[in-house]
Amino acid sequence: MKILHYINFVIIILLLAGICVAEEVVVSGSLKQVQTNCLEIEKIVDERENLKNMEVVLAVDNLEYNWGEDEKNMCYMVNHKSVQEIGSEIAKLKMYIADDDVANFRVSIQVIKLHCHDYLHFMGANMHNVL
Amino acid sequence: MLTIIIRSIIIYVIVLLVFRIMGKRQIGQMQPFELVLTLIIADLATIPMAEVSVPVLHGIVPLLTLVVIHFMLALFSRLSQTISKVVSGKPVILINPKGIDYEAMKKLNLSTDDIFAALRECGYFSISQVQYAIMETNGKISVMPKADSAPVTNSDLKIDAQESFIPIMLVSDGKIMKENCTLAGMSDENISSLLKEHHCSKLKEVILLCVDEMGEGYLQVKGKEGKTFQTKRLVNK
Repeated sequence: MKILHYINFVIIILLLAGICVAEEVVVSGSLKQVQTNCLEIEKIVDERENLKNMEVVLAVDNLEYNWGEDEKNMCYMVNHKSVQEIGSEIAKLKMYIADDDVANFRVSIQVIKLHCHDYLHFMGANMHNVL
Repeated sequence: MLTIIIRSIIIYVIVLLVFRIMGKRQIGQMQPFELVLTLIIADLATIPMAEVSVPVLHGIVPLLTLVVIHFMLALFSRLSQTISKVVSGKPVILINPKGIDYEAMKKLNLSTDDIFAALRECGYFSISQVQYAIMETNGKISVMPKADSAPVTNSDLKIDAQESFIPIMLVSDGKIMKENCTLAGMSDENISSLLKEHHCSKLKEVILLCVDEMGEGYLQVKGKEGKTFQTKRLVNK
């Protein structure tokens, strides 16, 4: 029985370690993917200087699809309220494309990037976050 | 709502497992840090239960972390007397043959009223009846009475009393306790014949059947008075 007791604790420790690793892989992987997508969109907008073209539409669709897939996995580990702003900003991007509102489109891209950057900083196990 | 119900079930099972892993102490037997741990666990469990946006893992991870910390602390306390003293403290003598130890009483932030209340709970209404009173690490006070106030025992009266044995419950509320029957070396047939001997044909009617190692038993059947009986000595396994 004592051996079983020790095995219980080893399993719990392994489970906790597994959750930490999974969080690091899933959450940081998803947010970095969003950041990369945003940089690509920014590059396209800089080159074309308008939003009513297929490249921008496809890039935003791609961002929306990737985020939709990643968000499902992130909900296991992240408070949904902490990341829901990214989803709403992506929705705004589509609206700005329809209005060809480049200024607000750029602002939304910056907000998404900033949000990803903030959360990546916030989830890291460093002294600032721990204390 | 269904989400909340499912989450509540998950958290309930996890909390149940956590308490099973942590041991079987009752609230009154807990060390102060164990009581605090129990309160924290209760508080942690409610967060993911009610808040749907918070992942269940945000409740499970701190719960499991606390279990690990508790296990480590218990392990180190067993291995080292010093750690044990730091974590649980040590028993303090409050009353000695000279009377109340005032310094110890102040150190523990107790008043004479508290000490008297504890003595009365132990059945001693006068301090003159008490030889020693010790504050245990779980906050309870143990009392050792003076020789003239101590309860009389069989050895005081030079009575050669027989050792008593724990009765083994064989049937409870119409159900045969398989594990106990194995322990007592009794089969289902033995129990049936035992019941027949006492004019009981239906197992369902039995409220309680227990037998101790010396073969002294107690049987109560629904609608009848309980009765003691003597059977053969049990072969304990």
